[in-house]
Amino acid sequence: MEEKTIISFANVAAAYDTATEVLTDVSFNISSGAFYFLSGASGAGKTTLLRLIYQLHKPLRGQIKLFGKNTAELSRDDVANLRHKMAIVFQEYSLLSHMTVFDNVALPLRVRGIPESKVKKLVAKVLDWVGLGKYANVKPMELSGGQQQRVSVARAIIVQPSILLADEPTGNLDDENASRLMELFIQMNKLFGTTIILATHNKKLMETYKFPVIRVENHRVGFVGKSSTATDDTKKVWKGPTPKNYFTELSKQFDEIGNA
Amino acid sequence: MKHTTVFSLVREQSVFMTAIMGLLTFLAVMALGIAIAIGTGVARWNTQWDLFATVQVTNTKNESDVNKILTTNAAKIESINEISNDEMLRLMRPWVSGGGVLKNYLPKMWEVRFKTESDLNEISDKIAPYGRVLTHADALQTPISAGWKMMLIAGLILALTLGAITVCISYIARNTAMLHKRELEILNQIGATDSFVARQMQIIVARICVVACLVGFICAVPVLLIMISSAHSARVGLMAMLSIGGIGWVCLGLLPIVITIFAIWMTRRTTIKILQNE
Repeated sequence: MEEKTIISFANVAAAYDTATEVLTDVSFNISSGAFYFLSGASGAGKTTLLRLIYQLHKPLRGQIKLFGKNTAELSRDDVANLRHKMAIVFQEYSLLSHMTVFDNVALPLRVRGIPESKVKKLVAKVLDWVGLGKYANVKPMELSGGQQQRVSVARAIIVQPSILLADEPTGNLDDENASRLMELFIQMNKLFGTTIILATHNKKLMETYKFPVIRVENHRVGFVGKSSTATDDTKKVWKGPTPKNYFTELSKQFDEIGNA
Repeated sequence: MKHTTVFSLVREQSVFMTAIMGLLTFLAVMALGIAIAIGTGVARWNTQWDLFATVQVTNTKNESDVNKILTTNAAKIESINEISNDEMLRLMRPWVSGGGVLKNYLPKMWEVRFKTESDLNEISDKIAPYGRVLTHADALQTPISAGWKMMLIAGLILALTLGAITVCISYIARNTAMLHKRELEILNQIGATDSFVARQMQIIVARICVVACLVGFICAVPVLLIMISSAHSARVGLMAMLSIGGIGWVCLGLLPIVITIFAIWMTRRTTIKILQNE
């Protein structure tokens, strides 16, 4: 199967003020269905790189292409529609404190105009899977850090994105839950060809799952592992046609993972 | 599709916004109500006096000629009332001192109601060489002009109130956006379009406006009724003519609906502007 570039950076630089560039001359291509770890010291620019990909931050110069589209030419609504194919999990959860866990997880589906009957079914399944089924009606602030992180992950994966960006998603989880989350990400990558970039400090995680690593160092980005395409291990194994009903397929996967 | 409101206003914000919008709606309904009442009064007043005229003859030699014209044209006259000297003296007493000398200088006067406006014009032309024909509409130009000015002022107050509503809604939208910057960011992150965010704000403003406009309208109606009733107690003059007809009440009823729709539209416009300038 021909590899298709889904994320392309060409000489991209980023800065939060004009004084210092956080990232300089970043160029790479990431193929559809790839799984990468993103590593680097604190403050190296990992989050900035994720924000650039997710279009939360505009580059100082250079060109970013997502799904083959030059992001500089996109309108705000185009960017919003592009984000319908992506999801991001932040370290600080980014949950709405006045809304219940259920409503937080349901929000991306509601934004996409998914019928409420489907929303209820899917949210219940996802919450069960992340082990928060009984917390559906509580507010995020009543949950522990790890539980809030799981809500954040549930909100990201529920839309079955083509690109999933995760900033330290396992940072607040214990080993069991971290492994469970990694298994879910791997399943999404293998079955749906979801391109995943996972920022982490966790060396054990990187050693256990030998995915290629994007290393951010000295404001520059380098690759460790097999170039910028997916390794044999991480190539998606979905050979059939792309599932038409992602949500049904995703639910099936949740069932399988949940029963495993 | 369920429209979950992502933004939630704190209680103080909701109470303040409901109160301010209620007050503005009250003022807008009052201003429009007063404008309609005065407008109706002026229109009625004009119609009432359109066919009336006072004929004055100062030269006693011309009295018989004018009398003849009035008699020969009786078919074109609805009613005629000759004002006696005593009646004239009684009417002028506040402005003239006593004494019988004045009686010698009083003009001969008739109050005439014509059947049509063309009758009034025709007979006025005939009388012109002998005496003066003063239509009541002309004589009452001052109160009528005052009526129009009052209407203009009420209209201006209405415009100012609508302007205040615009500023208020713009402030509400900006304030809400500032207070809920985090929510905006999160919505942005999960792929919400500007329209989706604006709709969220519109839901909040619509809820506030429906309650506020209803309260404002319900409070304004009895005040307007009391004002009109007080004006009617004057019994005569333009004040007694103030009224709000059926169409007037329909317009007043529509005003809160228009304010609500305007507020919702304004919210969308402001929110999208804020988001685009982020």
